[in-house]
Amino acid sequence: MKLLDMTKKYGKATYKYPLEPYEVSEGFRGKPSYTYDNCIGCTACGVACPSNAINVKLNEDKTKLVWEFDAARCIFCGRCDEVCPTGAIVLSQEFELAVKFDKNNLKERGELDVEYCEVCNKPFTTKRLISYILHRLEKVGWDKETLGEKVKYAKTCPTCKREEKVEVITKYLKRGTK
Amino acid sequence: MKIGDKLINKVKEKITIHEIYRQPEDQITITVDRNDLPETVRILYYDLGGWLSSMIPNDERQINGNFALYYVLSMEGGKMTPEDELPQDEKCWITVKTFIPANDPTFPSVTLKVPAAVWYEREAYDMFGLTAIGLPDPRRLVVSDDWPEGLFPLRKDAMDYRHRPDPVDHKDEPEAKFLKPEGAGVLDVPLGPLHITSDEPGHFRLYCDGDTIIDADYRLFYQHRGMEKLAENRMNYDQMGYLAERVCGICGYAHAIGCIEAAEKAIGLEIPLRAQAMRVICLEIERLHSHLLNIGLACEVTGNVNAFMHIFRIREFSMELAQLVTGGRKTYGNVVMGGLRRDMTGTEIKKSLELLETIEEQTKEVWEAVMDDKNQVDRWKGVGLLDKQVARDFSPVGPNIRGCGFKRDSRYDHPYDFLTQLDFEIPTENGCDVFARETVRYRELLESVSIIRQCFEMMPGGLTVIKPQTMIKPGAYAIGNDEAPRGENIHWIMHGNAQKVYRWRCRAATYNNWTSLRYQFRGNTIADAALIVCSLDPCYSCTERVTVVDINSKKTKILTYQDLKRYSQSSKNHPLKNM
Repeated sequence: MKLLDMTKKYGKATYKYPLEPYEVSEGFRGKPSYTYDNCIGCTACGVACPSNAINVKLNEDKTKLVWEFDAARCIFCGRCDEVCPTGAIVLSQEFELAVKFDKNNLKERGELDVEYCEVCNKPFTTKRLISYILHRLEKVGWDKETLGEKVKYAKTCPTCKREEKVEVITKYLKRGTK
Repeated sequence: MKIGDKLINKVKEKITIHEIYRQPEDQITITVDRNDLPETVRILYYDLGGWLSSMIPNDERQINGNFALYYVLSMEGGKMTPEDELPQDEKCWITVKTFIPANDPTFPSVTLKVPAAVWYEREAYDMFGLTAIGLPDPRRLVVSDDWPEGLFPLRKDAMDYRHRPDPVDHKDEPEAKFLKPEGAGVLDVPLGPLHITSDEPGHFRLYCDGDTIIDADYRLFYQHRGMEKLAENRMNYDQMGYLAERVCGICGYAHAIGCIEAAEKAIGLEIPLRAQAMRVICLEIERLHSHLLNIGLACEVTGNVNAFMHIFRIREFSMELAQLVTGGRKTYGNVVMGGLRRDMTGTEIKKSLELLETIEEQTKEVWEAVMDDKNQVDRWKGVGLLDKQVARDFSPVGPNIRGCGFKRDSRYDHPYDFLTQLDFEIPTENGCDVFARETVRYRELLESVSIIRQCFEMMPGGLTVIKPQTMIKPGAYAIGNDEAPRGENIHWIMHGNAQKVYRWRCRAATYNNWTSLRYQFRGNTIADAALIVCSLDPCYSCTERVTVVDINSKKTKILTYQDLKRYSQSSKNHPLKNM
């Protein structure tokens, strides 16, 4: 009987979900939401993701950098949110992830323009990442002139940079031995 | 004199010890000869008051050309009487290690002297092909009955983790052998492949005389996922914590902590105080919702659906609490090497304290109402008795053993980090039955509330995560232990090269409880079978039906889940009436 009294005392404990929205707490970690405009294609999220839900790869003809997220693989740990430098990926409050019939509906894609190396002409990063770097350098107080000189350096791929350095050093050393 | 030296000197009197190795200060490994193994484990277990916590077979052929066995004993005293306990500062872990040459993969069975080792030794054969000579029950345990002979999955050279042997055609599938009691009039009741309360796979055979169970046997591991294989040589420690969390759907956090702590202890990494406190909080939140779930189910399986609903209503508050603290209702995804990913704000702490108040108050209210119900209490009392000596022999853990009057709790026996600063009691009951176990759970709920409150009040400031600066040492290993809701979880990690895991052994609490379940069934009625399994709070994936075999007529009948549940709840219309 005591139990029945308690039922009376506490009344309804359930929600009318899905007829009314279910409110989750503030810190809830739901589906990562992706803002294409903020993404610079740095691939930090792809590296951090423990379950390979985020993949960042060049497409087949190497014209675009494809950011791809598969909600079916996501474990909602929030590592991507932590590492993203521009806030392009943030964990949202969204938890209703069911899709009908086609699992491809769980996927999200973003294609970013690729920057080609000024020396070897191979794609190595995105246009946005370069402009993000230049923008940041400008913010820390580099003047236009110095920046202008460095643009070429920024647009060279790591391999070419390395080779160039090696070349310069060898030249210098050779001169030294003479 | 270091911790544990007293015990080791006593072992030295009778056994030659080749090497003593200390991982953290309180985890000692002693290496003995293969033939001295059973006697060493027996001395430690019965003479010096140890309990078998885990056993790890390991393929070390790449390192030293041998296989190795590690019997992990938790040295805490026999505890048969209140005086029979080691002093708090002498409690430690002693691991008995022995090498097994690769060309002769056999070892003398420890089970004959210490029955608790039986499952571990069966598993050692399944996974590594190490044969325990003289093992009384050499049937398969982990791998399925149609698994190819001679393929031992955890051997390093056996197979890739993605490999799946071809399935055997249904008609050629070998039958699992069950241990059957002899005699006329024994009825064989299969309970499975899904368990009644937990809806997880496991096949039980109950041998009955009329309505009374005289013996039981079971086949489990239908959901073996091969996580240990998956982690080895492949995962880094960023991924390990998340994988470990998925071992269990209820006590995932306890696994994540056990696993990461093992890895941290192996390199002697100390995490910030704030992270330690928050880890304790999360573990206790998990205990709140798990115990509420179990008490609720124990009411439901006996037909008290009203109480079940009320308890689940309260449980919802604990889920909200988890969401506040970690951002997730169940999979918290919070533990990383070096601390925790997520910090708490002051507002969250304040809200949590309010929620705790509600949980405490309403739990007390419902429990009082349940205790008022004489029918309910009668269904729990005297059911599923676990004899004290059986408990001592098989090393069960959690509320299962605390319901028998043993004060065994990982938080109390091997406290570490923040736990040492807290003030809490370990509730025990002497009834040995389902009632005692549920009472222990209820009292633990209140303790948990008090622990969480203390943590919030003492909440240290500072960082929640540090970057592990120490490089992983290949070959270093350690035990990570914590008290999950069902009992002590043991994780054992050996570091490998390139920041990867060499061997991960995860021993969930229920693994140690299964072996003694058989004795708990004996002498009870079929109607109580589901309740007994439920009172263990088993963690496996449970059974749709039960087969009943009549020993007299040799007739078999399959009971469905609904039949058994209905009978368990109403005790009317015996399902075997027409046999």
